[in-house]
Amino acid sequence: MFLKIKHFKRDFNKWTLLIIVLSLFLAIPIFSILISLFMGKGEMWEHITSYFLFDYIKNSIILVFGTGLLTFSIGTSSAWIVSKYTFRNKKIIEWLLFMPLAIPSYIVAYSYVGLIGNGGTFIEIFRDFGVSINRIEMMNIYGLIWVLSFSLYPYVYAGTRTIFQSYPSQLKHTASLLGVSNKKYFFTVALPLASPGIIGGLFLVFMEVLNDYGAAKYYGVNTFTTGIFRTWTALEDLQSSIYLSAILVVLVFILVLIIKWLRGRRFYNLKQNNTNQKNYNNRDKLSGLKKIIYLGILLFPILFGFILPLIQLLIWGIQTFDLMFNKNLIILAFESLILGLSTALFVIFLACILIYLSKWNYLKQFNVFSKIATLGYVIPGAIIGVGIIKTSKSLTDLFSFQFNLEIGDLVYNSILVLIYAYVFRFIAVAYNSIEGNTLKLSKNLSESSYLLGYGKIKTFFKIDFPLLKNALLSSFILVLIDVMKELPLTLILKPYDLSTLAVRAYEYAEDERVAEAALPALFLIFLIGTMITLLNYKLKEKKQ
Amino acid sequence: MKILEIENLSKSFESKFEVVSDCTFNIKSGNICAIVGESGSGKTTLFRLIAGLERPDNGSIRINGTLMSNDKFIRDIKDRNVGLVFQDFSLFPHLTVKENIEFGLKKNKNEKVEKLLRTIKMENFPNRYPNELSGGQQQRVSLARSLAMDPELLLLDEPFSSLDTQLKSKIRQDLKEIIKKIGISSVFISHDIIDALEIADEIIFMDNGKIIRKCLTEDVFNEIEDEKIQNNMFELKRNAELILNAMKNK
Repeated sequence: MFLKIKHFKRDFNKWTLLIIVLSLFLAIPIFSILISLFMGKGEMWEHITSYFLFDYIKNSIILVFGTGLLTFSIGTSSAWIVSKYTFRNKKIIEWLLFMPLAIPSYIVAYSYVGLIGNGGTFIEIFRDFGVSINRIEMMNIYGLIWVLSFSLYPYVYAGTRTIFQSYPSQLKHTASLLGVSNKKYFFTVALPLASPGIIGGLFLVFMEVLNDYGAAKYYGVNTFTTGIFRTWTALEDLQSSIYLSAILVVLVFILVLIIKWLRGRRFYNLKQNNTNQKNYNNRDKLSGLKKIIYLGILLFPILFGFILPLIQLLIWGIQTFDLMFNKNLIILAFESLILGLSTALFVIFLACILIYLSKWNYLKQFNVFSKIATLGYVIPGAIIGVGIIKTSKSLTDLFSFQFNLEIGDLVYNSILVLIYAYVFRFIAVAYNSIEGNTLKLSKNLSESSYLLGYGKIKTFFKIDFPLLKNALLSSFILVLIDVMKELPLTLILKPYDLSTLAVRAYEYAEDERVAEAALPALFLIFLIGTMITLLNYKLKEKKQ
Repeated sequence: MKILEIENLSKSFESKFEVVSDCTFNIKSGNICAIVGESGSGKTTLFRLIAGLERPDNGSIRINGTLMSNDKFIRDIKDRNVGLVFQDFSLFPHLTVKENIEFGLKKNKNEKVEKLLRTIKMENFPNRYPNELSGGQQQRVSLARSLAMDPELLLLDEPFSSLDTQLKSKIRQDLKEIIKKIGISSVFISHDIIDALEIADEIIFMDNGKIIRKCLTEDVFNEIEDEKIQNNMFELKRNAELILNAMKNK
């Protein structure tokens, strides 16, 4: 089939071969799951379909749509206000609106139970003031929607804000001249034009919701991810967990198709304000009642997504400080950071390789392989973990039976396998971000370098790399944040003697020692919060 | 002697529409040749095929007798000894004027760069960055950068399109002077016939991916059988008359 491609022999080169090999290597977990589907159902499959499968499907759908609705409302309203208005302390509020990303959703889940659950902090405070209030039952699907929404709205906020801020001022002026009210302008012009950013943000939210394990487990909500874990660990049926994974992958791809359909054929190429023109895109100053309401809208997600959970964690942290703060916790934080840094470095390196192999490869039909390698982000961590376990088992059996070699230690209990899994899961984050920036570079620059006698790799280091430095750093930080927060994949694949802050916090919470989970969580939040602040600063610097 | 020989050259992209269709022509060594046509006529794709930045579907390209590409073989871009000045000049933004010009040089850098800076009259600006230069200055630096490699063939993609109309005539003459002084064979593309008439020795007319006519510049006004060329000539004449009338009425 490939030989029938015109000029196949002439145009096939080492870059084409490399892109195929690298992409297939990275996509091993997907192939592993697909192949396993043909090996028959597991022993517990009938039991799962009879008692659990409907719940997994129903709850996953409710979670996706519930969280989608709430994050859409919070994200777009916040993005609109910060884009269109100016007010005191705006820079701080803009920074705080990102900060919920610093707290992993399962940690937010623990905090809320600590705040308003039985004997919760708020309950006790009110009781001290003589006011008796009932606990609020969070540990159900609605509580989970609340927690996930306030954790994940920044994805919608970020994408939407970028688009709102890029509108040329002529749009609003044109609407005003046509007698269109602000409200009508928002719903009929601004919001539709921001739909790519909104849809992009919602897509990330959906993927995170389906990937969530810790929060759903803690709140006792049966989802696909908790089901995959339970089937593999409690029921000891790897094959059935693979079947569940396959169904979840189908659900994910249905979501992807819905997203594609929502995006449609729309392509908005809003002409940016020419730097030679005056910028008439002045923001209105908030005042009076409008100021109170709009600031309230902005502070609402900050309060429920960041401040309240943080307060609860700080209270627990103080209560357990003497018990928990020790040398081991510092070492754990350091090891988590090192793992995150080394993984992020690998991810950036491999993402660059995939992107540039696609550019250098003359047979563009083969670039589809690099897209396969970036599917990891749409596949929940639990599925990747199961896929890798399955591959590891197959490899171990193969080497044992065929070559009489025991390679168990290489493929199980290995940090390299964990890093490989992270790379597969998060390479899309770096790939999409870096690729977007390479597209902004005129290809004439690299072509000029080729014409001046430089080869492709030398051109990358001499021309592209210096111009992409900031984009690479931003992508590095994004991946680092994701790796440090990742839970399901780490739980499945971490070596026995390795732990991370995320895992340690989870383990304490699972042991009903939620207060003791606070310090590892706070360390994690501090590290991630620093990364987010740095990223925010870099993005602002780039804008200037 | 022929510096460029193109035979049955064709190229189509995903749309299956032939952007360059069965082009055959050659260019005499030492000449400045202009390829003229409207937007979308295939000029830029033809250029990119000659430079090796696109891979042809059919046909062959020879530069100074050396095979560059055919159905079975494609010479790498860096081995073609072709210089190309892009329409947007493509100066490396993070490098100075001097660093841009010496980018491709391996030896005798300083000597060569100084000589080229004098040639393009930029000897006072070696440490400026591209964003600190005017359009005309950027073009000259881009030209010098290509000339530093002693290419056998120099390609210029719409060299005058991004320049102010008032400066165009001066820049055209400056460019012609530099090219003739160095004695390099050049091809440039333009949608404006006046560019071609002012500085080219020969002109190739292109339309819908095809070569419709090739002739010496002095013969252009005699070669007006083809309607496409005729339209170009009439536009030129019409504008020239309008300008002349406006000046007369002042």
